Amino acid sequence: MKVLLVGMNHNTAPVEVRERIFIDDPAPLLQKLKHDPDIEEVVLLSTCNRTEILVGTRSVDAARVRLHSFIANDMPSERPIQGVEDYLYEYIDGEAMGHLMRVASSLDSMVVGEPQIAGQSKDAYAAAVEAGSCGPILSRLFQTAFTAAKRVRTETQIAERPVSVARVGVSLASQIFESLEGKQALMIGAGEMIELAMKSLRGAGLSSLAVANRTVANAEALAEDLGGSAHGLDELPELLERADIVLSCIGTDRPVLTREQYDATVERHRNRPIFVIDLGVPRNVDPELAELDNVFLYDIDDLGEIARANTGRRKRETERAEQIIEEERQRLEGWFVALRAAPTIKTLRARVEEIRNREIDRAIQRSKFDPSEREELDAITRSIVNKILHAPMTTLKREAEREEGLAYLEAARVLFAIDDEDESDEDD
Amino acid sequence: MITMLDQLAAAIYLTALLVAALAYALPRPVLLRVSVGFLVLGAVVHLATFSLFHTADPPIPLTDLPAAISFMCWIAVVFSLILMSRVRLEALILLVAPIAFLGTFFAALQMGNPAPATTQGSGSWPHVHVLLGGAGLALLGVSGLAGILFVIEYRNLKNRRLVERTVRLPSLEALDQVNRVSLLLGFPLITLGVVSGMLWLSSVHDSFWTGSLHETFSLMAWMVYAILLGARFALGQSARRAAVSAVAGFLFLFFSVVVVEVIA
Repeated sequence: MKVLLVGMNHNTAPVEVRERIFIDDPAPLLQKLKHDPDIEEVVLLSTCNRTEILVGTRSVDAARVRLHSFIANDMPSERPIQGVEDYLYEYIDGEAMGHLMRVASSLDSMVVGEPQIAGQSKDAYAAAVEAGSCGPILSRLFQTAFTAAKRVRTETQIAERPVSVARVGVSLASQIFESLEGKQALMIGAGEMIELAMKSLRGAGLSSLAVANRTVANAEALAEDLGGSAHGLDELPELLERADIVLSCIGTDRPVLTREQYDATVERHRNRPIFVIDLGVPRNVDPELAELDNVFLYDIDDLGEIARANTGRRKRETERAEQIIEEERQRLEGWFVALRAAPTIKTLRARVEEIRNREIDRAIQRSKFDPSEREELDAITRSIVNKILHAPMTTLKREAEREEGLAYLEAARVLFAIDDEDESDEDD
Repeated sequence: MITMLDQLAAAIYLTALLVAALAYALPRPVLLRVSVGFLVLGAVVHLATFSLFHTADPPIPLTDLPAAISFMCWIAVVFSLILMSRVRLEALILLVAPIAFLGTFFAALQMGNPAPATTQGSGSWPHVHVLLGGAGLALLGVSGLAGILFVIEYRNLKNRRLVERTVRLPSLEALDQVNRVSLLLGFPLITLGVVSGMLWLSSVHDSFWTGSLHETFSLMAWMVYAILLGARFALGQSARRAAVSAVAGFLFLFFSVVVVEVIA
């Protein structure tokens, strides 16, 4: 069985495309793919930065066609995505294994070292296990990816400093405020990105928050989840008066937070510093606010820039992480080869046993030996066969643990004519 | 003995500075804690120096300028340590320690040659004046140093030039709190320093005012701080402006009290 990974991420597709195939609940799609005749196993990983489908298949070509069609037509997009192939990448076997490990270890993230992707990968795996679409191959692959991610996290300093956009926000907040306890946050929007960012701030001790959204029902759902109050956008001026941190990520073609709005509240805000994170594209907050005293405005590019600066400083750590991934990938490849070696060794031994038994029967039938001597004859020939096979079997088992072991397996199959159906009928 | 202890305190302050600089350069947060430890040790040795002033022959008066500067440095160190125990403010060592080192070191050089006493017949007012005024100057000095850190960090945050640091600088909020507390404690102290100075003059010259340079500049500095206090707490001055004012105010105060005293 082969492993095939097809997907798109922040490097290959813009957010307008990525968001159209973002999947919140993978269960129905996993069920659909699981019953495809060309797909044996399937796991679906979907985050705001990537959507990837990983399958175990006996026919890579057929699975590839199926997955391309699936992404273009069956994903949650309102209409089929034209030219989806332009955004897709694919990896097979060893490359797919390495890629998944890089993803789980956050080396393939928009911001290297961000911790969320490890949890998202585990969630994707758990969903596939629950849906019954994850078999032994992908299961082993994911377990190894988690091991690699854990090693990267503990053996390198990649995750030591905060790096995700959300965490850069938390870090900046701690440069402005001594503590987030007692601080009030205002969230404008109720999407996943803002939820993640706010969870990071919550984790840092933020005590009070208000969610303002165009659709108040969505604000209520998020407020309930995070423990805050829900409001409509019309309440922004009053909410702004009390806010120490504003986090905005809402779809809009004009700023929802303007200089005029802030100016109107600045008196009541009493010169307290206000930290504004604008994650929206187009921007949600009037850039002029950045010029005001005590207003610290950061948009997504500013946060990304800081995060990337941190990424640059951790180049050496990234190289070490890549080494770890290569080690784990080779180990996993060895396991795959060994998995393929088992049937070869079994078939070879069965073939030799069949020949040995047949030759004993033939010798007895030709009266060369007395039937009473069969047991002795059996022991002698078995001993001879075992001695002859010991070295090649040991070599095959040992080499199968390595990536190059496939060549030995191929050689054994040719030399012992394992794949030749007629060989067993040949006579001396 | 006193000079030796003063030099030892200066050496410990210098060590605290070097260790703190290493903590940020390497970066190693643990070194910052070691640096705080050195600062505490320096303050203890420094205090021991003052306790031996009366044993010198002749006894060293606190009104002697080197001794007064040394005292102000000690107050600044102790006040900084108290603040550090409350908020993340260890970066202040980078500014407090060199000043404490310089003040203590030069005080040690001068301590063997005290200036002729000018306080005879004036009771305890000179000491009260130096104690209160010196403490106020030290506290407002810490406010100025925190103001420098505030301005640096504020500019970095505004210009989005921040990179993640393993050893973090103080938050703007903490630095602003230092500004508030220092101003609230320091201003009454320099006010009492000015009042006790006038009482000292009165006991010697039968007048609260002789029109000396020191008196004129000290009064001007006091008025500057009175304006800063009003701007900060009555007019709701922003934290950035308060930080800039704290730096400018302290420079003027230092010039008025110390530089003018040396020139005079």
